Amino acid sequence: MAWTWFHRLASPPHIYRVAGRLTPWLAWPAAALIVAGLFGGLVLAPPDYQQGDGFRIIYVHAPSAWMSLLVYTTMAVAAAIGLIWRMKVAHAVAASCAPIGASFTFAALVTGSLWGAPMWGTYWQWDPRLTSELILLLLYLGYMGLRSAFDDVQRADRVSAVLAIVGVVNVPIIHYSVIWWNSLHQAPSVMRLGKPTMPPSMLVPLLMMLVGFTLFFGALLLIRLRGEVLTRERTASWIREALRP
Amino acid sequence: MSAFLDMGGYAAYVWPAYAVTLTVMALNIVWARRLLKRSRKEALHRLAMGGTEK
Repeated sequence: MAWTWFHRLASPPHIYRVAGRLTPWLAWPAAALIVAGLFGGLVLAPPDYQQGDGFRIIYVHAPSAWMSLLVYTTMAVAAAIGLIWRMKVAHAVAASCAPIGASFTFAALVTGSLWGAPMWGTYWQWDPRLTSELILLLLYLGYMGLRSAFDDVQRADRVSAVLAIVGVVNVPIIHYSVIWWNSLHQAPSVMRLGKPTMPPSMLVPLLMMLVGFTLFFGALLLIRLRGEVLTRERTASWIREALRP
Repeated sequence: MSAFLDMGGYAAYVWPAYAVTLTVMALNIVWARRLLKRSRKEALHRLAMGGTEK
């Protein structure tokens, strides 16, 4: 009895239908939050007392970096579920995550570099935070490359899942790198115990961007998931059903 | 307005950072939709070829 909803949830036709219906409910709030966050961050927030208007890069850098970690964690958990319970839908989630995560890791590295240039006097430094984030990008690219090396989707799912799971050790390393080692990178100002180190006029737009990006990830994941589920499906009846115009 | 665009002298860093991030977001929308479209097409193709079970 308790398992029926679980199987229903994991059944491809159900996932395909629900994902399609859910997408706009994530996409539109994401768009609204991001537009509001951009306005708040670029216009309403006061300049930083040390970094002037240069600090405004935080409103795109921090959400991109947050995405890079959130998406990887999602990918690794989904890959583990897929591997342990042989669940196709979980593998489809993991496969959907990789390109999203890779692109936002790239954005986090580039925006961080553009922030570092005026503040640290260098675009790049082999610093623990920067290096571990670069390794994250390589993990994503390795995962995608490994997948594309297999013609058989099921084999690609299983082999790439192992890489995704092993690579997850890098996630806490990235997060704690600024605390464990002497890093150029500043310490967390939002994701920390106790109070954030920013006034509300700076913090609220940042939180809007963080939530907006998270919802955006959800919407992208659902669109991709529908495609990945179709790719894995060999049963004619529901494909005909799902794709009826 | 020009003061806004100048970003307190940080324009050369702030605007490219925003441009890169917004481009990545736009590309993600295009890529995701393209993937779904292609999967649909391939699934319909499989149906037409009778390559599916049942």
